[in-house]
Amino acid sequence: MRKNFVFLSLLVVLSMVITACGGATPTTVATEPPVVPGETQAPTTVPPTEVPPVEGPKVLYQTFGPGDVPTLDPAIAEDTTSIQVINEAFVGLTVINEVTNLTEQGIATSWESVTNADGTETITFHLRNDIPWVRWNGTEVETVKTCDGSADRIVNANDFAYGIERNLNPIVASPYGYLLGMVLKGAADYNNGVTTDFATVGVEVVDDFTMKMTYLAPAVYNLQISGLWVARPQPKWVLEGDCDGAVEARGERWTEPGFFQSFGPYTMSEWIHDSTMTLVKNPFWPGSDALPVPKIDEIQFSMLDEAVAFADYESGNLDSAAVPAADLDRVRADPVLSAELYNGVNLCSYYYGFNITAPIVNDVRVRRALSMAVDRQALVDNVLKGGQQPAQWFARPGLAGAPTMADHPDLGIKSDTAAAQAELKSYLDEKGLTVDQLDITLMFNTSSGHQRIAEAIQQMWKDNLGLTVKLVNQEWAVYLATVKGADTPQVWRMGWCPDYPDANNYDREVFAPNGSSNPYNAAGEPEGGVFWKNQAYVDLLNQAAVENDPVKRVDLYAQAEQILVYTDAVIIPIYWYARNTCTKPYVVRTFGTGGQEEYAKWDILPH
Amino acid sequence: MGRYIIRRLLYMVVVILVVSIITFGLMHAIPGGPFSREKALPAATLLILEERYHLNDPYWKQYVDYINNVLVPHITTTPPSTALADDCLVNVKIGKVWIRWMNFGPSFKSRSRTVNDIFRDNLPISAQLGTMALLVSVSIGMPLGIMAALKQNTIWDYIGMSISIIGVSVPVIVLGPIFVWVFGVALKWLPPTGWGAQPPYILGFLPSSLGWDFFKHAIMPSVALGLGASAIIARLTRASLLQTVREDYIRTARAKGLHERVVITRHALKNSLIPVVTILGPLFAALVTGTFVTELIFGIPGMGKYFVTSITNRDYPVIMGTILLYAVFLVIANLVVDIVYAYLDPRIRYD
Amino acid sequence: MSQVDQIAKPLGLGGIPTLKKRESLVKDGIRRLVKNRAAVLGFSIILLLILMAIFAPLIAIKSFDTQVLVDQNKVPTWILSLFPTMKPYAQISSAYPLGADYVGRDMFSRIVYGARISLTVAFIGPFISLIIGVIYGSISGYFGGRVDNIMMRIVDVLYAFPSLLFIILLLAFFRSSMSHLSPGSPAYLLSKFDESLGGMFFIFVGIGLTAWETMARLTRGQVLSIREKEFIEAAHTIGAPNLRIMFRHILPNILGPLVVAETLAIPGYIATEAFLSFIGLGVNPPTPSWGAMISEGANSIRSYPNQAIFPALALAITMFAFNFLGDGLRDALDPRLRGTQ
Repeated sequence: MRKNFVFLSLLVVLSMVITACGGATPTTVATEPPVVPGETQAPTTVPPTEVPPVEGPKVLYQTFGPGDVPTLDPAIAEDTTSIQVINEAFVGLTVINEVTNLTEQGIATSWESVTNADGTETITFHLRNDIPWVRWNGTEVETVKTCDGSADRIVNANDFAYGIERNLNPIVASPYGYLLGMVLKGAADYNNGVTTDFATVGVEVVDDFTMKMTYLAPAVYNLQISGLWVARPQPKWVLEGDCDGAVEARGERWTEPGFFQSFGPYTMSEWIHDSTMTLVKNPFWPGSDALPVPKIDEIQFSMLDEAVAFADYESGNLDSAAVPAADLDRVRADPVLSAELYNGVNLCSYYYGFNITAPIVNDVRVRRALSMAVDRQALVDNVLKGGQQPAQWFARPGLAGAPTMADHPDLGIKSDTAAAQAELKSYLDEKGLTVDQLDITLMFNTSSGHQRIAEAIQQMWKDNLGLTVKLVNQEWAVYLATVKGADTPQVWRMGWCPDYPDANNYDREVFAPNGSSNPYNAAGEPEGGVFWKNQAYVDLLNQAAVENDPVKRVDLYAQAEQILVYTDAVIIPIYWYARNTCTKPYVVRTFGTGGQEEYAKWDILPH
Repeated sequence: MGRYIIRRLLYMVVVILVVSIITFGLMHAIPGGPFSREKALPAATLLILEERYHLNDPYWKQYVDYINNVLVPHITTTPPSTALADDCLVNVKIGKVWIRWMNFGPSFKSRSRTVNDIFRDNLPISAQLGTMALLVSVSIGMPLGIMAALKQNTIWDYIGMSISIIGVSVPVIVLGPIFVWVFGVALKWLPPTGWGAQPPYILGFLPSSLGWDFFKHAIMPSVALGLGASAIIARLTRASLLQTVREDYIRTARAKGLHERVVITRHALKNSLIPVVTILGPLFAALVTGTFVTELIFGIPGMGKYFVTSITNRDYPVIMGTILLYAVFLVIANLVVDIVYAYLDPRIRYD
Repeated sequence: MSQVDQIAKPLGLGGIPTLKKRESLVKDGIRRLVKNRAAVLGFSIILLLILMAIFAPLIAIKSFDTQVLVDQNKVPTWILSLFPTMKPYAQISSAYPLGADYVGRDMFSRIVYGARISLTVAFIGPFISLIIGVIYGSISGYFGGRVDNIMMRIVDVLYAFPSLLFIILLLAFFRSSMSHLSPGSPAYLLSKFDESLGGMFFIFVGIGLTAWETMARLTRGQVLSIREKEFIEAAHTIGAPNLRIMFRHILPNILGPLVVAETLAIPGYIATEAFLSFIGLGVNPPTPSWGAMISEGANSIRSYPNQAIFPALALAITMFAFNFLGDGLRDALDPRLRGTQ
């Protein structure tokens, strides 16, 4: 009887496995390796070293981070994943090269710039006229026809104007509406609802393939910003309907599979939310220098957490994956993986900000002491270990206009324990305090990565200065509210990645008055973040924005950075990011530095 | 019994209302909103967004509107459209009139989706995973527990209980990656991530095919999840059975000369299942609505992560939707448990 | 009962326990517990753990927060023979018996100190849960009818209660900069109290919110089943008051599965504590807790498995101990086994 029971229970478990092996019709699953019909058994007369060419479609397997792609609508996109797909599907006036960050031709093949009498700049863009709108019809990519079905809809200046208008229109409520508002004439007013007439914005459609954009000042980065995702064409007929109702208006659902229309090298054919997204090659993309005709036919994106994705990579289901920090040692020591590893630049900066009005850190000596007492090299070598660089300033090398270590090796602030102790001692002596009486809080948003760094730095301050700092962490949304308001703690953690790869995006848009980390209230006074006011800094930035001589421009930003991290020591620059990616040897690819890849340049070799 | 069930279902409505009020209140009390950004949105944009989602209405009005959309069926003559604001879970046509019910609202984070879309796409996957995990836990846990009880204090008892303890004390966050590493990467027997079923689903939640493609994705997460639960079931079964076999009526049955197997299955087992069934109710509700960690580790696009990310994103409709969903499942599961009580032990009466 | 004894004794009828004298349930239980070797083993382990927690500063090699960054992830040689996959890249140091963690803290010392948090949770959790849950469930199951209905519906609501939301709210309120909390106000005092406990206060709140409901439901189920039995009817008949029936008659008979379920819930409490610490709502770093160490170690489980395995092992051993003890308690407290071996 007892034997029966054991037997019965085993049977129950076994039956599950047996039905599993029943082998029904296989369903197509995103993570299955591609079926390549070309690779059949080689005839016996052929020497075994010959590999027959791949005849089937080339499919690339990649992953986004965990969570669904938030949106494919260029007007409201704000995160790197959405922008990645938008870059493949919708090409801008200009294209920013993902590796060099230089501005290249996009849909606009040439442009002329004129500086007007009132100080504004007008750039006339000449667009190419051979890019059709396409869509996935369920089996293949086809062009989108005009109402009478006689011709293809071609991407033209009206589509650009429509896209820009949508991005700026307050009703669309784009989180990046301010970007064009910073450079384009009249855009900020339109975005803020001050004017409701789009004609006042500096966008003029001269004819179908010529458009003029008027900028507030002849800034160096105008062209870059004009190529960003916020200024991409969008299919008005899909959003609002057309052809007297023959084309149904889709409104905000226009990015869903089945409705989506685009024109770039790839278009979206399938989107299973939270699970996979499939991009297919657009055969009607004629190719350009910046964006060649794609060689890969299909890209399947899964949406996996970093550690999970790397496991998938190791088991052969992904063609490329980022290496989680915890696995770097193992990967570097593994003969196969280390050969597949690439360590390169990632254009982000990590820093600790100060609330310079808070007690104790309101003295610049304390701030400098804390900044110099951080042993950045040890942090990079022992905690981060990902080939990151110790940061001496904020607008990191690699950005247009930013100083580099080669030409400004002593710029900014460095780790220097003796100097840190001297600064602190000077403060303590003057105030008549001992280091134990200093009560300082370091706050960061909840994450194991930030915690590791904070714990290490907490220890460094203890070892090098004798200072005990309290660590507090908060959930992200709560944290954001805290560090941008009156409750900003003395020291708080933040990072910044470029919206566009120019030093202006870092220095002005983060720390200038009303920057991301330096919010001002309606009366023009600081109300959160670093609580900082410095006119010299702002003047330098204004000069640098319109300085065309690259060397002089870099020098201006260098001066600004010196004020930011040393003279006023408003932040502690900690490290500059790196990227560590493993890629299978049969993938030919480029490595983007700004968080984006350009898949039109990739290829898959036979394997 | 029928009236009891109807009464319980009516109570369910009350429970849902209470939970919804509490959640609504907490949600709006937490600092931060759905539009907190590193770079703050301009005031005009913020105003427009809040207008669109009625976030500037007084709280009571927001709440009443929400309940109106979710709980109250509406009768209209206009057929459903694809517009975002018009998405209802239940659309029934009677004659010329449409009855439309359960519009949980849009998602603030994914602007092209509604909460209903999330339910339709992700809930079936969590349900499939949860059901399989439950099956695993019961089919491992109960036999182990029975075996251990019947062979108390022998080696079988200790082995059985040791297996179950390991299942409980090694959490999924450790067990999961070990499975992925061993079976997915090293041995390559099973795919490390993904799920084997996609929309459309039969009856809204069943996978369209149950072949190896489906099970090869389901085995590791179901076992990782089920092992922990199986431990609880095993130990509870064992303890309860041990208690039951000491009852006098079991002694009588044995004394009557009944075969031991009959004694156990027909007499002892039913009565010892009450604590086990108690656990199964909430366990089912929790598993079926999705588990955050397991779905993260195995890359399964289920509902589990929405429970956590909706709070992080302050995506109010998704928060309300997920919590209400969980509440409904819980109440129904507990109702089923109570009904099963009555079946297991006829002496239990509901007054 | 005593009458039966007096009759059976001289007859020496087999099957009926013969008692020399009337032993209390507790004394009799202790005697039987001591004879259960597994339970004794469990008890000893728990005792050892308690001692380890109390004398942690003497047992641990280093302080739990001493970071030696250059020593991060180093392992002693015996771990390499245990996990040979680590050989290509692991760095060796014999100063850390169980290895060092990601910032060079000694794992062994952290596990020793971590026992404090985990044992606190392991004792407080069942304490809250049993007291509240058993009483609640007994009342609900015993009185049945509308009382039962309303009480169980309240439990339903609390089950579905978004405790995570509530905890985030609590923490957002209490852990933001102290600047807006006026000293002396209750909120400020609570924050200070939480700090002094190393951040444990909100773990207790979190566990307290979720712990007792299961116990209440379990108890109610058991009570529903037991209350229809004849001996309860008999007690009613002779006019025993409800309270006496509940505590003297029903409770001892249902305690068995309840105690076992409670000991089984202990890993759940530690998991709750781990999850809360993991999402930043638990103990403040660098205070170690096994749960937080397991969550941290899970990140590196493929490269440095020792960082997750050893805290998990500590947890498992503790679980074994509690389970054996729990089983022994159940056996010992079972009235039916009175007087038997």
